[in-house]
Amino acid sequence: MLTKDEAQKLANKVMGYSTFADCQVSVTSAEQAYTRFANNGITAAAFSLRHDVSIAVTRDGCTGVYAADDLDDAALRAAVKKAEEFAAIAPPNPERLEPVGAQKFPDLPAFDDRTAKARAPEMIPHVKTIVDEAVKRKLVAAGLIERTHRLSAIANKAGLAGFHESADSQLTTTIRMEDGSSSGWAGQPSARISEIDSAALANTACDKCLRWKNPRRIEPGNYTVVLEPTATGDIVRLIGSGFSARSTDEGRTFLSKRGGGNLLGEKLFPEYISLRSDPLDWRQPSVPWTSDLLPTRPMAWIEKGVVGSLAYDRYWASKTGKQPTPGLGGGGSGAGGLSLELDGSDATLDSLIASVERGLLITHFWYIRAVNPQTLQQTGLTRDGVFLIENGKVTAPVMNLRFLESPVRLLKNTVKVGQAKRVRGLEGGLMVAPSLVATDFPLPSISDAV
Amino acid sequence: MAATAAAMADQLFAAPEGSKTPSSDLEKLGAAALAEAGKYKASYCDIRIVRLRNQRIGTRLSPERGTNRTLAVPTVAEDSSFGFGVRVIVNGAWGFASSPLVTKEEIARITGEAVVIAKANASIQSRPVRLVPVKAYRERWETPHETDPFDVPMAQKLDLLRSVAEEVKKNSRVFGSVATLSLRSEDKYFASTEGASIQQLILQIYGNLDATAVDVQKGISRSRSYTPTQASAGWEYVPEMNLAENAMRIREEVVEHLSAPPVKPGKKDLILMPNHLMLTIHESVAHPTELDRSLGYEANYAGTSYITLKTRGERIASEHCTFVGDRISPRALGTVGFDDDGVMTSEFTIVDKGIFRNFQTTREQAAILGDKESHGCSQADSWATVPFQRMPNVYLKPGSQDTTPEDLIAGIDDGILIDGRGSYSIDQQRYNFQFGGDAFWEIKGGKRGGMISSVAYQARTPDFWQACDGTAGPAYWRQFGTTGDAKGEPTQINSISHGCSPTRFRQVNVLVTD
Repeated sequence: MLTKDEAQKLANKVMGYSTFADCQVSVTSAEQAYTRFANNGITAAAFSLRHDVSIAVTRDGCTGVYAADDLDDAALRAAVKKAEEFAAIAPPNPERLEPVGAQKFPDLPAFDDRTAKARAPEMIPHVKTIVDEAVKRKLVAAGLIERTHRLSAIANKAGLAGFHESADSQLTTTIRMEDGSSSGWAGQPSARISEIDSAALANTACDKCLRWKNPRRIEPGNYTVVLEPTATGDIVRLIGSGFSARSTDEGRTFLSKRGGGNLLGEKLFPEYISLRSDPLDWRQPSVPWTSDLLPTRPMAWIEKGVVGSLAYDRYWASKTGKQPTPGLGGGGSGAGGLSLELDGSDATLDSLIASVERGLLITHFWYIRAVNPQTLQQTGLTRDGVFLIENGKVTAPVMNLRFLESPVRLLKNTVKVGQAKRVRGLEGGLMVAPSLVATDFPLPSISDAV
Repeated sequence: MAATAAAMADQLFAAPEGSKTPSSDLEKLGAAALAEAGKYKASYCDIRIVRLRNQRIGTRLSPERGTNRTLAVPTVAEDSSFGFGVRVIVNGAWGFASSPLVTKEEIARITGEAVVIAKANASIQSRPVRLVPVKAYRERWETPHETDPFDVPMAQKLDLLRSVAEEVKKNSRVFGSVATLSLRSEDKYFASTEGASIQQLILQIYGNLDATAVDVQKGISRSRSYTPTQASAGWEYVPEMNLAENAMRIREEVVEHLSAPPVKPGKKDLILMPNHLMLTIHESVAHPTELDRSLGYEANYAGTSYITLKTRGERIASEHCTFVGDRISPRALGTVGFDDDGVMTSEFTIVDKGIFRNFQTTREQAAILGDKESHGCSQADSWATVPFQRMPNVYLKPGSQDTTPEDLIAGIDDGILIDGRGSYSIDQQRYNFQFGGDAFWEIKGGKRGGMISSVAYQARTPDFWQACDGTAGPAYWRQFGTTGDAKGEPTQINSISHGCSPTRFRQVNVLVTD
């Protein structure tokens, strides 16, 4: 792992190798350590270190980009030369703007050193806790514990210089019956590995597995649903690309108005729906700059049900007379995408369940894909625990179902939000999300999967 | 060996004319790991030294805001990565460590790290790792090619993409177009304590064309794509992609798509074209026949499978369906000389006339099954990642010589022909799936009609393949590739090919989407 000093010196050294007046360098050093387990035993564990030096050079609007992981001087000089050769061949980019100069980046919460350094001695006891609990209950555990440590230094010849270091961790586990007839899941992402509670996760996943046994077939259709926080995050985070100002102005998002214009300032959602990104929230390790290398900042995308902001990159801001903003994710548009938060309330999950006369309690979703990029309609399936709610009580396990719904309609149909926490979906999406109750959630078919 | 072997990657992987054995410098580096593992009494060790290169070239044509001009935004980027990973078995458990610093000293240090990890892993073990035997190969293998795509001048690539993107944009109703080419080169050296010493060069080319049309008054945005066969090949393959010809086709079809009426949902017969069905095969046949899923090793993420050890010998599809797995077909993305266990690749039957016969396996999995040898399906996506079971190319064999797509269409009263990839989703045991497509045509009274839109079909995998009642002959068989196959934790990405002829399915549940 490079140090801060080494990364910054490396960025400046590489910049010095370029003869171009417009040169931008990004240096990343990233460590990963993890342990996988399945069938109540460890199946793989690894430690890896990767470097990346990305060089972008521009002359007369023509840009070449080359990235390498070889930190040897000769290799870095060759990488710069390659980027310059590409720039000499590339046609000019008419959307390119002048490089940004020196910036004052916000101080993000400090990363947790213990998380950054964790290795097998810190991880394996968590695996043992889960496997022991599963074996005790005659169940079968699988899962992953991992931590990452990453530092980035950026610099350009216009005076820009930035540095950031972060660490993150997660533990997820799937507990199944020995005959494969039931499955339960629990997971916890945490910026502090010391806060991972493997005993609680083991209990949750084991309990869910035992409670979900012999699920009942129900009729597909529209249901009132209670989504646990991970399930909420699985769908809501996919709203991001809809806030692109450019795509919206071009008539290609759910926020485009028919005939032209956009829905900024309109109340589309209930007043208890507020969607923000907050890179200063210590719970969600983020980066202090946007994809345009401008300082990031908190943003309110939906404020009490009203569309509060659109995401402007520098180019589109310059074309429309707006100020550039952080992005919302979904299109690689910057820091906002790493720190999305849907506001919750003090209401417990039990109180949400108690408010439902007939509906379904959903643990989380799987294999979610966009069906229509404009309306943001998605499809995917429930997984690892779905339960029937009758008269405010969980009464029976039910078989998995496929859903066909957009985050936009889900938020419009939300009638209650519960307590929020940081969640990580199976396919990697991170956000702070609450449990919620939503009506008319389309579940058009049954799945036999366990 | 120089202090920084990384700076010498070109020399390390260079192939002297006619050479059939690995570079001696690579063999010396590999030996450093194997010798170090011997000191720790590891029962097995392998090392992969890998240099990856990716080149991404593109042209996006978009209207400039407030003018009538079209702006052409280019992309010219390349990245490279060089490093090694060492895998050991100690006390019956795997250990793995990797580093981007390719020197003998670092290889020895990292081998020691892998041993420490293996010893720690052995503390919680469900069963000790055993491997089936493998012949010790000392070979060099390359993707057959005439011209290394990385040697082709960048200007030539940019000119090609600019011209086809402009071809798409010639219809004024096309809002925007994007043309891209991605090139991948993987130099890989593998050595093991069982005597393997294998050097390979894998070259891959991916191309794509996208067109978008927007009706602002109606609030509709639609697209049409052309994705040629993604291939393991040299640059000589690029003209066969027929980018210019297909640019003209999709610019008209995207406009037609914009006003195409939505489908009327219900049970319908489907004709699925090879560039669509390849993904259905990928998700509903190739993934469920991965043995690690069936054994529970992927339970926490990718999932398990509806196919179990007990399914061998049972019917899972109609008699029209014979699927083979291979890693040897020309130009297929999964084709290599040897897998990451050092096993020479081959072809094997997965489903024979609807009856499930064989799982995909690695050396470790073959030992679990009691098989004598592996099917050669071990792969890692980089030097920094752990090899595990990945799918081979999986093909649906064509139907009889004289069956044409028109014959299949003629037998449909109410159906849909689906072309290209759309959205796709399948459950964690590969039962319930939903697929969209890139373009759809109505079939009425045995004839193909006009374009329709907003189509998706949902089915249960065994029911769907049992509903297959015909596939066109060998003349219509095509192979396509997919480049983003995700599996494992942390997730690894794989590129793989699937092939088939246009195929008919009866009475599938069709939905209307947004």
